[in-house]
Amino acid sequence: MQNEILFFILAFIAVVSSLTMISAHRPIDSALSFIVTLISIAALFALTNATFLFVVQLIIYAGAILSLIIFIIMFLNIKDDNLPDEKYKNRWLLATSIIISPFSAILIDLILRSDIAIKSVSDTKFGTIQDVGLTLFSEWVLPFELVSILLLVALVGSVTLSKREN
Amino acid sequence: MTDAQLLNVLLLAPLLNALLMFVINFSFKNVKQFIYTFFALLGSGVSAIVAIYIAFINYSEHKLLVSHLFTWLDISNFSVEVSLRADALGSFMILFVAPVSFLIHIYATGYMDKDKSYGRFFIYFNLFVFFMLLLVLADNPILMFIGWEGVGLISYALIGFYIEDVKNTYAGNKAFILNRVGDFGFLSALMLLFVMIGDLGFSFDAIFAHLIGVDSSLLSFIALLLFVGAMGKSAQIPLFVWLPDAMAGPTPVSALIHAATMVTAGVYMVARFAPLYNMAVDVSLFIAYIGAFSALFAAIVATRQYDIKKILAYSTMSQLGFMFMALGVGAYSTALFHMFTHAFFKALLFMGAGVIIVAFHHKQDIRELRGIRYSVPFVFLMMFIASLTISAIPPFSAFFSKDAIMSTLFASGHFDIFIMALVASLLTAFYMFRMVFVLFFSEKYQEVTQKSSKTMFYPMGILTLLTLFSGFWNLPEIFGGNLNISHWLHLADKSATLSHETEFLLMLGNTLLIVGVIYYAYKKYAYADGIEQEKQIDFLTNKFYIDEIYHVLIVKPLGFVSLFFDKTISAFLIDKSINNLAFLYGKLGKLFSRIENGNVRFYALYILFGVVFGFIYLYLLLGAFL
Amino acid sequence: MLKSYMILSIILFSIGVVGLISRRNIIVIYMSIELLLNAVNLSLIAISADLGESSGQIISLIIIAIAASEAALFMALFVVLFRNRGSLDANLFDILGEKHD
Repeated sequence: MQNEILFFILAFIAVVSSLTMISAHRPIDSALSFIVTLISIAALFALTNATFLFVVQLIIYAGAILSLIIFIIMFLNIKDDNLPDEKYKNRWLLATSIIISPFSAILIDLILRSDIAIKSVSDTKFGTIQDVGLTLFSEWVLPFELVSILLLVALVGSVTLSKREN
Repeated sequence: MTDAQLLNVLLLAPLLNALLMFVINFSFKNVKQFIYTFFALLGSGVSAIVAIYIAFINYSEHKLLVSHLFTWLDISNFSVEVSLRADALGSFMILFVAPVSFLIHIYATGYMDKDKSYGRFFIYFNLFVFFMLLLVLADNPILMFIGWEGVGLISYALIGFYIEDVKNTYAGNKAFILNRVGDFGFLSALMLLFVMIGDLGFSFDAIFAHLIGVDSSLLSFIALLLFVGAMGKSAQIPLFVWLPDAMAGPTPVSALIHAATMVTAGVYMVARFAPLYNMAVDVSLFIAYIGAFSALFAAIVATRQYDIKKILAYSTMSQLGFMFMALGVGAYSTALFHMFTHAFFKALLFMGAGVIIVAFHHKQDIRELRGIRYSVPFVFLMMFIASLTISAIPPFSAFFSKDAIMSTLFASGHFDIFIMALVASLLTAFYMFRMVFVLFFSEKYQEVTQKSSKTMFYPMGILTLLTLFSGFWNLPEIFGGNLNISHWLHLADKSATLSHETEFLLMLGNTLLIVGVIYYAYKKYAYADGIEQEKQIDFLTNKFYIDEIYHVLIVKPLGFVSLFFDKTISAFLIDKSINNLAFLYGKLGKLFSRIENGNVRFYALYILFGVVFGFIYLYLLLGAFL
Repeated sequence: MLKSYMILSIILFSIGVVGLISRRNIIVIYMSIELLLNAVNLSLIAISADLGESSGQIISLIIIAIAASEAALFMALFVVLFRNRGSLDANLFDILGEKHD
């Protein structure tokens, strides 16, 4: 019961802050509200016993990526002139929401009709770093190694991209 | 060598040499002339020797030579085989086609000497020999049609050989288009035959074996259509107008293609389909009448022509008319015998004309060429002999062949045809000796301006001998002969016997009349200016205005219709609607290209549309099962 | 409980799509993409917890790694685009399409 109340509070925060994120005019506002979303999602992770992912989410997303975004926003020194003139932003948001509503409605309907239910996880080791680590290095070694290559490529790519001509 | 190899060598020697010369002509510049001469004579020479050999073994051993090259088409139970077959008729044809071609090749090396298109000329010539032999040796009508079209194509190319003058090209076009009309008939006949009995095999033997099963009126129709093809190729009324114009080509071409070999293909074709024509008697009679009209018409027109080659062209048409008359009354071997002798003397006449044309500054008008007897004595002698032959003076070869035709016509009981043939043959003597007397019998003397090379005279000498003596091969019984050729060919001749007295009287009468005509021509033209005093009968010099009539009746309306289609239907109906359609598509494209604005956000929106509609569709689809 | 997680995931995903399509600011577009990834992560984690199977968490982990590399590239892209055009308007970057006048 306590979990459910916590879930609803966190879910509410996540939805509201994400809505703020997509509707804020200035990117810095978006970024700050997105941090809130990410933290609430991390908390939701913790609520499902995924403790390791909770930590990773906090460190990588909220810690690294979002601070990088905020850093870039400040670094670029974006003034209001540089921002796109989004005259019809609200109409766009409304229209797109209407378009996507059948999609969401159908999915929600299908989920409600289905007979999935959360089991009470009895295993206390579930979601710990040991559990995740064992699975990662036993069953998921190849994807793990491939991700390392991907990160290397991204690193080289970003350096090449941001290099000034001549 | 086996039979098959013999036939293959016969056919492929000219083709290979033509290809070789083509490659040389295509790849190198400034090729020495003797290289072409060598290959041209090699190709036609080998085929000539092999042809004589094949004809000899066929004649002496009555042996059928067959060579199966490959299967062209094999569709369920229908197959077209590419195979060659030298039966009596085929070997008789190659017996004069290949050697005469070879002789004219030799002549042409002299005639075309130092011409800048020397190589091209002999490529065509060797190709012509190939196609002609293919036409003659074909085992089925489809292969024959390939040869038929091939010789037509080469004829077209050679009529327009001097492409610098656009008139020659027009003459070539005329020949080609008129032959298309004939080919339409030929091809339609083949299609009909195929529809009726094609599934039982389509070689000549198979066709003739199954003719019984075809409805007789349809059979007549097929025979008529086939004859339309022969009309076109052999220049008979009404498809003859191309032949006089075809004289635009070099003279060896006229000699080989438009006198000795190709134009006789129509006669050969009718003879080849003899079993068919024997079953369609009314069509045969029609052929005889067409032949008679053509012979008479051409002979009349020839009496008022002044161009030496035109005279010979009409004479060719007239002689072909004689052959068709013989075919029409069912005397196939007689027609072929006349074709045989005709090949020799007509080639000789054209060669003589060629020598004269070369020797006197390319003048062709006989009025300007008077008095050349002592400048070109050999030519005079040969042409005089040839003229005597064509006029059917005994004992030269054409006397036997033409007399055979006359007596057959007489015996067949169609006296109207016989009278026309008689008049045509008298006119033949008249126009030939008009030409000879005008050319050679005059007090004037003209100096030769260009010496002819010796190589032109050797083949003429050989042909003169053949002209003199080839007739003895098919001596009729009345002269103690035994009709060797007719027995060899063994075609489905309708026999019409005549008592020896009647036949003899007929011959005597004919010959006396012809001699009388020649005497009249001598009085009028030799050492006299009869040619200058000839009344200009426009009707005749303009060949009965046939060209003009065709122009008004066919060309003009066709042109009008074409113009109508071009300006009205094509421009408004088709072009406009298609253009409008194209503009519509263009506009639609412009419209839709606004959607593709390059903005990736919009592309994501379109994906979203797709996903949403897909979801709705799937949900409704699954909703039935939930 | 799992249903609630899934529904939350769907709602967050839809918000992400709306932001992705509607906004012209490429930084917001980028964050919308991150939101899509997070929504998916959420459902993955919820399912993995439901099944007691940690593979779902591994997939989430890999997605986070991919998001990180994506972030690196996006940052470089922002710098280059802003340097070249002086603006962050996504409508300016439309060289894929035909120019209309």
